[in-house]
Amino acid sequence: MRPDSVPAETPIRLTAHGSRTTGPWAPLKRTWRQRPLVAALARRELVARYRGGVLGFFWSLLNPLLLLLVYATVFRLVFAPRADVRPYALFLFAGVLVWGFVSSALLDSAETFRANGPLLRKTTVAPEVFPAVAVGARLAHLVLALPVLAAAIALAGASGAVRPGATALQFPLVLLLLAAVVLGFALLVSALSVHFGDVRDLLGNLLTLTFFLTPILYPVNAVPGKLRLLLWLNPFTPFFVAIQESAFFFRPVRLEVWVGMILTAALALGFGAAVFERLRDSIAEEA
Amino acid sequence: MAVLSAIEARAVTKLYRRWGRKRSVGTFKSALLTGRPGHALAPDQAVPALTDVSFDVAPGETVGVIGANGSGKSTLLKLLAGVLRPTAGDVTVRGRLAALLELGAGFHPEISGRENILINGLLLGLTKREIASRFDEIVRFAELEEFLDAPVKTYSSGMAVRLGFSIAAHCDPDVLLVDEVLAVGDEAFARRSLEKFSEFERAGKTLLFVSHDLGLVAERCRRALWLDRGRLAADGPSGETVALYRASVSEREAERRGELGREEAAVPERIGSGEATVAGVQFLDRDGRPAARIRSGEPARLVMDVRARAPLADFVFGFAISTVAGIVVFGSNTAIDGFSPEELIAGATVALEIASLDLAPGVYSVDAAVHARDGSPYDYRRDLLRFEVAADRAAVGVWSPARRWSFSGGVRWKSEERV
Repeated sequence: MRPDSVPAETPIRLTAHGSRTTGPWAPLKRTWRQRPLVAALARRELVARYRGGVLGFFWSLLNPLLLLLVYATVFRLVFAPRADVRPYALFLFAGVLVWGFVSSALLDSAETFRANGPLLRKTTVAPEVFPAVAVGARLAHLVLALPVLAAAIALAGASGAVRPGATALQFPLVLLLLAAVVLGFALLVSALSVHFGDVRDLLGNLLTLTFFLTPILYPVNAVPGKLRLLLWLNPFTPFFVAIQESAFFFRPVRLEVWVGMILTAALALGFGAAVFERLRDSIAEEA
Repeated sequence: MAVLSAIEARAVTKLYRRWGRKRSVGTFKSALLTGRPGHALAPDQAVPALTDVSFDVAPGETVGVIGANGSGKSTLLKLLAGVLRPTAGDVTVRGRLAALLELGAGFHPEISGRENILINGLLLGLTKREIASRFDEIVRFAELEEFLDAPVKTYSSGMAVRLGFSIAAHCDPDVLLVDEVLAVGDEAFARRSLEKFSEFERAGKTLLFVSHDLGLVAERCRRALWLDRGRLAADGPSGETVALYRASVSEREAERRGELGREEAAVPERIGSGEATVAGVQFLDRDGRPAARIRSGEPARLVMDVRARAPLADFVFGFAISTVAGIVVFGSNTAIDGFSPEELIAGATVALEIASLDLAPGVYSVDAAVHARDGSPYDYRRDLLRFEVAADRAAVGVWSPARRWSFSGGVRWKSEERV
């Protein structure tokens, strides 16, 4: 008996669309397997975005800094901020920065298939790579801006306005969980954007609304009791509460907030991946 | 035990779904407002791109895919590559797969050639380490050493094509799918790409490529698939498949021209006084059987039945063979060949033997005539019959004689003539 000239253990069954992975979590598994490509494409996004010049990166930092300045000025001059959120600019800083990541990553996801149409149609790339790249690039962008946040905290700490502590180390973990939620939503948004032309516009409005319904400009205890319950229905609330705790109040994040974040992350990832898997076949055809 | 196929397609059908109606008003808002967002995601109609296509490709085979535009060639490649999923049926590819559906499809204009090599390599399924180890070779083949750190938008299209091909050629797949990419680029590049393909073949890799260059397919592939409106119309030796495809193309062309011809009446199909008529023509193969198809180099016989209304003393019988495009490749008659007429009464059968029909693969048309010695026709019938010539080898032009190359002096070959 002659051995087969091609090893039998290496078939690629394309009935499963380029891989043997199926099931609702499949998009996440495929993304994980493709992480070198995700990293390279995210890097490409960043490099291409900052190619404009040496100042490119700083220009992109300027945007949240300006926004911050506007919020801080308006809210301090027009409305007197509560005593527990002073210095108000620092209170806003982490939240506004992180919200910038959330909204830009989701808006990018809503366009990524249109932007990468040729790649989708002409290469064997797995489509889930693209929302992951959108989230990854924006996350890297945020991480690059974190030294500015750290400097602001250190400065405020030196002047005695806040007392930074080890509880700040919760921040990266919160960010990681938030990134998972954003990836879940990114999968959802990108898959829907292939079929509906108005996803990005709707998303833009939804994000603006959510920004005000999320404890970013205010601490959660500033909201009256009944409304506060409503606030907790917002999936982003636990994350921004945790961000305020770890980057401004420097207190340990409460256990139920951790549980809330983990559950939200799992739900968002699961739902996003399941919808994506449902619509996946049409992506390469329609994009 | 049989060797497992490198590529298997089993009753593959692909329907493209159209979201036409919903697309025009395709908003998420309206989908939500109807209360049935799932319903909005159901397709309006399905357009078949491939229907029930089955074939096997053995490891090490080079197979060409031909067919008119829109016949499903690219769809087939995308299904094999896994870009699309079949609506029905199974596709299996064994071994490492690389698909060149478009050269440099993954290039980003703003970043350097160096970074694009990394991304393209990853897209083709290489690991970072593999890319690093082949990097120099890729750059050398593409001849882009000096431009490596310049953004790809500064490259000429030829440079980008060279880089794209070089990356794909160096990713060492077991199965390579190529979609009509050699049409771009200059001649030198096309030649080097073909050399790369030959290397592939010698290394026992499986190659499937789509091409409109029928000569290339006939020459490069032992086997070819012909897709016709989404169906596998032929699967066999490339010369035969190409000939079948050509026959169908010229048939359709002739149909079209026929319609035009009737309107314009430019070329009459039949002219003559009718004193004698060509009642019928047959094309016979070496066994004397009527044939529509013959292999190049085989003997053939043309036979016409002639009727005369009244006895004639002045008559010439003639045949002409021309391509379907109308170029006469052969024509002769009894006068040219030295027969002096004496008498034609009632009817006769006239046969012309051709010892060796050395025509290039293609479809040919036969005219038959009986006319007076001064050329005035009794009956001249154009395009009475068509036959097809098949061959293992392609040839440029219409003549494909039995041939042999010989060499002396300082010339050596890597491989001998295949036939």
